[in-house]
Amino acid sequence: MKEGFLIEQERLEHEAAASLKSSGLINDIIRYFRKKSIFVLAYGTGCGAIEMPPTFTSRYDAERFGIRGAATPRQADVIVVSGYLSFKTLRRIIHTYEQMASPKYVIALGSCTINGGMYWDSYNTIKQLDKYIPVDMYANGCMPRPEALLEAFIALQKKIENDEEPSGWERYLENIEWYRQNQRAVLGEDIKPAYEADWYTEGR
Amino acid sequence: MNILASLQPQLCDKFETQAFDLKRDDLAQVIVEKKIWRAVMDYLKEEAGFVTLLTITCTDWIEEERFELNYIFAHETKRCDLMLSFSIARDGESVQTLTDRWPQAEVMERDLHEMFGIVFEGHPNLASFALENWHHTPPLRREFDTLAFVNEHFEFRKGREENVDVKAEAKRLRALKKAKAQAEAEAKKEKGADDADE
Repeated sequence: MKEGFLIEQERLEHEAAASLKSSGLINDIIRYFRKKSIFVLAYGTGCGAIEMPPTFTSRYDAERFGIRGAATPRQADVIVVSGYLSFKTLRRIIHTYEQMASPKYVIALGSCTINGGMYWDSYNTIKQLDKYIPVDMYANGCMPRPEALLEAFIALQKKIENDEEPSGWERYLENIEWYRQNQRAVLGEDIKPAYEADWYTEGR
Repeated sequence: MNILASLQPQLCDKFETQAFDLKRDDLAQVIVEKKIWRAVMDYLKEEAGFVTLLTITCTDWIEEERFELNYIFAHETKRCDLMLSFSIARDGESVQTLTDRWPQAEVMERDLHEMFGIVFEGHPNLASFALENWHHTPPLRREFDTLAFVNEHFEFRKGREENVDVKAEAKRLRALKKAKAQAEAEAKKEKGADDADE
């Protein structure tokens, strides 16, 4: 007789494996390792940050899927935007997201990131996260349980495995002017740092 | 005897208080004029033993064109709080800072400056605090229309296309289920009757 979490893991991994489409041995290997070593930035924005410790510690143990924490944005693959975002936090999120090395992914947790949630009439929080940074996976709810966060991670792994084009950071590079315009609309002109990186000035 | 009740005659003798409202055994409000609030506060701190500044709040009486500033103090040994209130004009009137007496007043006054637009004279740093790059009306003033601001600055995501009234839908589904159950029961009954006939 299997424990409950083993059954769950079997189901989740089976789903992930069943959807595999091959595109050459090297690519498959790269995608396999990319999928199995997701480093999540230890950064919480709203009340949803409280769902992340149980997800990563022994109770839900995300490391069995290769998902674990990372200390700095330079080492991280995924940033979890957990809950509402005030303007002040949005500025930090954009700063952090652009420091991360690609390939990078964004998981938006909770209904606040989708349509403002219970802060729909607040003067200080943004309503749609995907206008400012590209979102790869949403986990809806207020608040989603750690199971929902885990399923979002599994779905993200499937997305990495299938190499669905274009992923979030590619969309960000392509539409950087559109994202910048939306960011300026709420944050003002002085979005720091001022960008002189080649990907920004010359495009891809 | 209760310390707040015994404080009332002393304070009213010494200063021209507009009101002394004993709200509970451990909570009282003193309302004074703006010109004597520093003197009253010094008396409370040095003589009456209210040594801790808990918080500073502001009430916006827009109909009477005034802000009411409330300074809440806690007693050093007894369990009781005292609220010192005075009014200022809504526009153009500044208040002396309290950072020379209580350093923790710095963040509280910065917050009030940001949320209500009150200027505190002598404050070391009235830069923005929780809001950044805010050029609109200070958001906790009552003339600030939050909903209008939100509608102007954000667009909302459209709902799902199958967006239905949840209550009406639940009612419809319940009725469907009931009708189905009834039909099934009738069919069973007829079948039972047929069986009996045979």
